[in-house]
Formats: sequence, C-alpha cells, structure tokens
Amino acid sequence: MAILEVKHLQKSFGTIHAVRDISFSVKAGEIFTIIGPNGAGKTTTLEMIEGLVQPDQGEIQFGNLKWDKDADAIKMKIGVQPQSGAMFDLLTPKENLDLFATFYNKAKSTEEILALVNLTEHQNNHVKKLSGGQRQRLAIGLAMISDPEIIFLDEPTTGLDPQARRNIWDIILQLKNLGKTTILTTHYMEEAEKLSDRVCIIDQGKIVTLDTPPALIEKLTKEKEVHLSFLNGEESAYHTNQFIEKLSTVERTEQIGKTLKLWTTNTEDTLYNLFRFTKEKQYCVEQVSIDEMSLEDVFISFTGKEWRD
Amino acid sequence: MKNNLNQFKQMFLAQLKLTMREKQAWFWGIFFPVILMVIFMVIFSGSSNEDFSAEIALVNEGSNQTSEILLAQINQNALLDIKSGEAVNREQAEKWVKDQEVDAAIILPRSVEKTSLLLIVNKENEQGVTTQAISGMLDKLVQQVNLSVTNTVPMYQLEFKTISSGSSELNYTDFLLTGMIALAIAQGGLFGMVDLVEMRRKGLIKRLRMTPAKMSIFGISDMTMRLLFSIIQIVLLSLIGVFVFGANLYINFLSLGIVFLFGALSFNALGYLISSFSKTSEAYMGVANIGSFIMMFLSGVFIPIETMPSWIQPLSNVLPLTYFVDGLRDTMIYEASIFSRSLWFGILIVLLWGSVSYLLGSWLYKRKSIVANR
Repeated sequence: MAILEVKHLQKSFGTIHAVRDISFSVKAGEIFTIIGPNGAGKTTTLEMIEGLVQPDQGEIQFGNLKWDKDADAIKMKIGVQPQSGAMFDLLTPKENLDLFATFYNKAKSTEEILALVNLTEHQNNHVKKLSGGQRQRLAIGLAMISDPEIIFLDEPTTGLDPQARRNIWDIILQLKNLGKTTILTTHYMEEAEKLSDRVCIIDQGKIVTLDTPPALIEKLTKEKEVHLSFLNGEESAYHTNQFIEKLSTVERTEQIGKTLKLWTTNTEDTLYNLFRFTKEKQYCVEQVSIDEMSLEDVFISFTGKEWRD
Repeated sequence: MKNNLNQFKQMFLAQLKLTMREKQAWFWGIFFPVILMVIFMVIFSGSSNEDFSAEIALVNEGSNQTSEILLAQINQNALLDIKSGEAVNREQAEKWVKDQEVDAAIILPRSVEKTSLLLIVNKENEQGVTTQAISGMLDKLVQQVNLSVTNTVPMYQLEFKTISSGSSELNYTDFLLTGMIALAIAQGGLFGMVDLVEMRRKGLIKRLRMTPAKMSIFGISDMTMRLLFSIIQIVLLSLIGVFVFGANLYINFLSLGIVFLFGALSFNALGYLISSFSKTSEAYMGVANIGSFIMMFLSGVFIPIETMPSWIQPLSNVLPLTYFVDGLRDTMIYEASIFSRSLWFGILIVLLWGSVSYLLGSWLYKRKSIVANR
C-alpha cells in the first residue's frame, strides 16, 4: 500500500523549470532513494513533498491526507532532516530534543532517541561543540522525536568521514527495522545501492528511471565481464578460449597470456559449460571474477558525463 | 490550550537559555549601556557641580582714581583669580593670553580721562563660556562704577531662580539617566532582531515550519524574553544612576509600564522591519547602526533638543526615540500620570512607528519568502 503518492509535480522559479513532471509512489516500510546531479530538482521535489514549497501543479497525498486541508496532521506524521541540519546551536542535544518534542501530540522519550543516534554521551554539550557527524545524527534524531511514519533524510552523509557515514547507514537500517518509511537523497551511489529498496534517478526535473538497484543495473546491460586466469599457463588459456568462443551465450573473448576475458549474456550457463570443460581437461583455474556494473555506472549512463554546475 | 501553554513554556525556557548563553547579548544589552552611561555621567555631570572661576592677568600701568576703584572691585570678586597676585605689565599679560596661561587679561584705564576698560582674550576662546562670563562680570562692574560716579541708585534689579515641573532637585544626572535607559531599550529592539536574520540564514525558521510548532507562540515567547531583558536593563541602569551618581527618580509605575511596553514593542518592530530586508547579519547591523546613530544624537538622549540648531529640530520631532525618551522622563522623573495627554500623544507616535514597521516587515517577509504559508 502506498504511504505517499506524488502525481505530476511541476514547479518553476521564474524561467527555470526546476521540476517538470515527477510522479512516484512510496510503499510503507521501504527506503526510497532519490538521486540526481546537482540542480536536477531533488531538493525542490523534496520541499514540495514536505510542504515547504507550493507546487505549481500536481498532487501530493499521504494516504488520504493532503497539504491544503490536513497540513497539521501531515506534519505530525512526518519527520524531516533538512540538508542544512538547522538546530539551536547554544542548546544541548537534549534541550533541542525536549523542545522539539513539545511541538507534537506524541513524542518518543529523549533518552531513547539519544541512544538511537548514539549521542547519550554528548547530551549535555552545546550543539555548537559537536562534530559534523554528531550534528547530523542529532538532526536525524530531531526528525525522529515525534515517532513519525515517514522520515525524510536530505543528504544525511554529505561531508562526513567514512566512519561517520557508516554510523548513519546503521541508523537508517535501524529505522527500516522499526518499520519506518525513509525517503533519502544522496550523492553517494554506494550508499544508494547499499541502503535503498528502490532508487529514483532524477535529471533536469524529470524521472529518468525508477527501480530496485539490481534491476537498474540489469536494465543497463545484459552482458557481464568474466575474468579467468589459469595456473597451468598460456596453453590452457588458449584451448579454453577455443572452446568457449563457440558457445552461443558468449559474445566475445580476449586472451592475454594466461588470462582470459569473456563477455556473456548468461553467466550461469557459460560458467557451467566452462568449468565442465576445464574439469574434463584437468586445467587448473586459479582465479575467477565477474565484474558487476555498479549503480554509479548506471547513474552516469543515464545522466551523462558532461560537467554540470 | 494546555499544549499551547506547554509549548510557550518550553519555547520561553529555550529563549531564556539562548539569551543567557549568548555573550554578545550581555555585552551589548547590559555592559555597553552601563559603560556608556558612566562615561557620559563623568564627562557631563562631573564638571557642572564645581564653582566657576577664571584666572586673569591684570595690567595697571598708570595708577589713578578710576583704576583704583575698579581694582578694588576686581579684588573683591571671588570668581576672578589674579595670576601672580598682582598687576603685571601689558607685554607679560598679552604673552600669558597668547599661551593660554590665563583666561583673559584686563587692562585698567591709564588715567582718569580714559574711560574704557580693555579686555583681551585669546581668539580661540572668543566664543567660550569663560570669556562670556568674564565679559558679563566686567560689564556689570563698569555699570556699578558708573552708578557710583553719578551717585545713582539702581531702580530695577534682576532676580534669578530655577524651577522645574518635577522635583526641585532635578538635574542633568536624572536627564542623562532616563535618556540612557530609553536608548538602551531602543537599541535592544533595533539590534536584537539580528537573531532572526541568523535563524533564517541557518535555515532554523524553515526547520521550525516543518514541524507543527505554532510560529505565533514562538514569536510571543521571543518577545516575552526580550521584554524581560529590557526590564533587567531598566532596573540595573536605574540602580547605578541612583546609587552611584545620585539621580533622583520619582516614578509613576503604571505610566512607566505602559510607555515601556509600547516603546519596547515598537523598537522591536523596527528591528523586525530591518530583518525583513537584510540578507546577512552584516547588512542588518549596518542599517541598525545608521538608525541608532541618528536617533542617539537627535532624540535628546544626551542634550536637550531645544539646544540643537533649529533646522535639525523638525527631524528630531519625527523620530520615535524622541517621544520614547520624553515618555520615560515624564514617567520616571516627573511622575506623569496615566491621564497625561502629552504622554499619550508620545505613545501614539511611537506606536505609529511600531505598527507601520511591523506591517511593512510582515509584508516584505511574505512577499520574498518561498515558504508556503501553512
């Protein structure tokens, strides 16, 4: 069941069409990621969904709730971590959370949130003194204080070191375990690939593609690149090459010394036949690797490589 | 309702903590006005209590009957102190005047036939208060001599007495103290709203709008905090004024409360207006400083408006601080009652400034803001 439904969103600022036509629906409990180059319309889309920007056209529905009639009810249901991570710098994490808790009808206990975002130790330091990662965790904590059904995280890991990024990933995965729906934007493909149930690529105000990360990669290419190297040396590589060239699932091959590269549209069949052949001939395969396409390759292939600023 | 009250309480507590922890707020809101007041009190009110006296050089080159009469009169005058205790020659006297070692030189007539008394002063001091005073004294002296020579008794006499509408003890300290309190409150409002620019820049206002928090409650709790801060300013400055500088205050608390409330709100509204068109806190401070400087000197905080050039006075008469200062003086020194018409006239002008600023500021905020009004 769709917890959020977005239909034909459009928004212009002056002559700039920030969002041209965006429609999608988000299922309860999933991590839905929006990625796209800078200026693609991610933040505008998100701000329209969060009720900060009025769309020129289109519809946004949270179940039966709509912004024009049920603004307060929607605000009670959603938690937002904005890109700027704005909070009161001269208050402590605990005081920030306590204050935000009073805005809502129901709220989780401050202690619980502090533990979830791992800030219990720093609860009495002024926010101004926290590190970038700690601030970002507090921003996520503030988004969660009302125990919302849907959580919006706008680039939660931008500018953080690898450790801090992984801490945030853990929190996001914990949210999923708690049954929350998360809508995430990010610049890191690795992050999108690891965390997301579905990824939506936006470019120039439109959805370019939307699917699960493996399906997106699959969509881009049917071929996979397989690398083999032989312990017994060049001769075995040569003979194996002679054999697999004839297979219908293999598109092309390339042999350099004792290593062999092949491109196949059906990895499973190809490898089955290949290993049956090498077993028969008693060739010893030292290494096998299959090059997977990454989400980054998908992203670049959909949005192009030219400079954009 | 209960939730609103709780929200107000929590927001007020948060504002209180934010203000307490903001060192800048304490410096500009409390210490700066205190320091400024102390400096002005020391400069202006310190010297006014001392008696006037002037040091003069006396030249009596041809002793004669007229010069002797004048000399006796001058010697009697306690305010005129003759340098080196005796008459000197004219060259020496002129040198002292040039070097500004004396305030003036008095040349007594050289013979009975000569009827004029010569006063020599340094060109630099021509318009000075001391010169005016010496010249006045000598003028009177000459008059007396004239009368005694002709054996006439003066028919008309001038009597001099000071009164004021408040206590008879009113002096410059009271004037300055009330002016400083008004200035501190006005500046608190004018400069204080820079927080709003910072909050907007950091995205904190946007962040609050993403929550169901009621922005009106946020505004009210913010204003309550600011009023409380201004009350601290009034009390502290009054205590220092009364106990350190001996100011005399006769306060009508009800009237003072009304003037204070409307004044503080109006100056905060002015700050709010500035914040609505300032993108950065630097821009805000620039505009606030210009406003503050114009008002500081033209609104009768340090010197009465009546003593300023007449072409400036119309400008003073439209500035809100002029009326706020007057209102505070009326209620803190003259015990003006709540039924005073002039008090309400002043309040009306201040309120006019406040409401126009607030409406204009709100309109600018709405017009520019990309934040939907939900």
